[in-house]
Amino acid sequence: MRVLYICLAFLFTQFIFSQELFVVTDPASNIPANSLSVRLGNSLFKEKFENGYNYHLMPEVTYGLNKNLMFRGTAFISNRENNLVTEGGSLYSKYRFYSEDDLNSHFRMAAFGRYSFNNSDIHQEQIETMGHNSGFEVGLVATKLIHKVAISSSLSFEKALDNTSKNPFPNELGSTATNYTFSIGKLMYPKKYTSFKQTNINLMLELVAQTINENGHSSIDVVPAVQFIINSQARIDLAYRHELMSSMFRTAPNGVYLNLEYNFYNLF
Amino acid sequence: MKNIFISFILLFFAFESNAQIIKADIIATGLTCSMCSKSIYKQLTSLPQVASVDTDLNTNTFTVTMKPNTNVSPKIFKDNVEKAGFFIGSLVVTAGSKTLENYINVEKKQLPNSKQVQVQILDKGFVTEKEFKKLAKKHKDIASYSGGNENDFHFKMTN
Repeated sequence: MRVLYICLAFLFTQFIFSQELFVVTDPASNIPANSLSVRLGNSLFKEKFENGYNYHLMPEVTYGLNKNLMFRGTAFISNRENNLVTEGGSLYSKYRFYSEDDLNSHFRMAAFGRYSFNNSDIHQEQIETMGHNSGFEVGLVATKLIHKVAISSSLSFEKALDNTSKNPFPNELGSTATNYTFSIGKLMYPKKYTSFKQTNINLMLELVAQTINENGHSSIDVVPAVQFIINSQARIDLAYRHELMSSMFRTAPNGVYLNLEYNFYNLF
Repeated sequence: MKNIFISFILLFFAFESNAQIIKADIIATGLTCSMCSKSIYKQLTSLPQVASVDTDLNTNTFTVTMKPNTNVSPKIFKDNVEKAGFFIGSLVVTAGSKTLENYINVEKKQLPNSKQVQVQILDKGFVTEKEFKKLAKKHKDIASYSGGNENDFHFKMTN
């Protein structure tokens, strides 16, 4: 029986090392309990109405409290004031409430919430609590792993608040939004594992959409990405975000992401 | 008083000789990458009772060799794989027949009197959910099997 199990597992696992560590959206899986992940997120987006680029630096720390619950703190630094200025930060938490794992697949669901603080000027209709708006976001995410491919989808509600009393949220804009994401990732290399030291290469494609609830203004972006996992411990994401359609006012919709991440397992 | 004392001594020896697992072969489910395997690997190697962990990344198999004279129950493997964010699809433990007397044999087949017997643990959380549903039907006459007591372990021999 054991031999049968190993044979079955062997057959299936040839196809199941999939990827769900997406660049823009978070999958339903959490980081391991008692582990810490440190990330340096960089994004460079081209300004549409003026010359230059909008650069955001987001140092981030994620901690797995137990197998189902994780917390993340992010700081927002940007060059909107020409030199780099810390504009705010956010606290994020995700709770995995459903898991159905099998030898060749898993299906998981999680609920998440974020509260962000930001003191920068509000300069666009798009609501983005990651680095632009004070506010909060709550949502659900479901992730399915089938063979080499991971598919993930999320639905969330986002509410923008005043960026301090200095930069109140403009009355003429809608302050709530519904976000939809759809992500797909595939492990390209290695075809067969030989050690933890092997670099893994993943290709990903994400669709990120937002509708402003008050007026129906919407946008859809596509984000192709390549990801390298080094020594099973560090991660490099390189992604490009491109606006596919938009009926809302955005100042810098197109740009690139470079994320550097390192994981510390079993800290305490 | 003397009797209580003797009972304690007996209990002490009972635990010491009965709960020794020599080796555990774990197949984990729901993994997505070598990063995920590594989190299980690190979780298992951090346990003080563990001597070494060998990994086959292609089958998600973790062969855990325990230090001699350590008392652990199969639950330690389940708890730690789940802490890493995954689940056990199969757990085969190698233990002496004395240790296995503490567990429940779901088959009529007699255990050999040996220092190394390999058995598969069949309880919820130690097999895939689908497998557990099948087994629960098959063993519905064994009241403890679906009883949900996490200190009851059921097994069948693999060798």
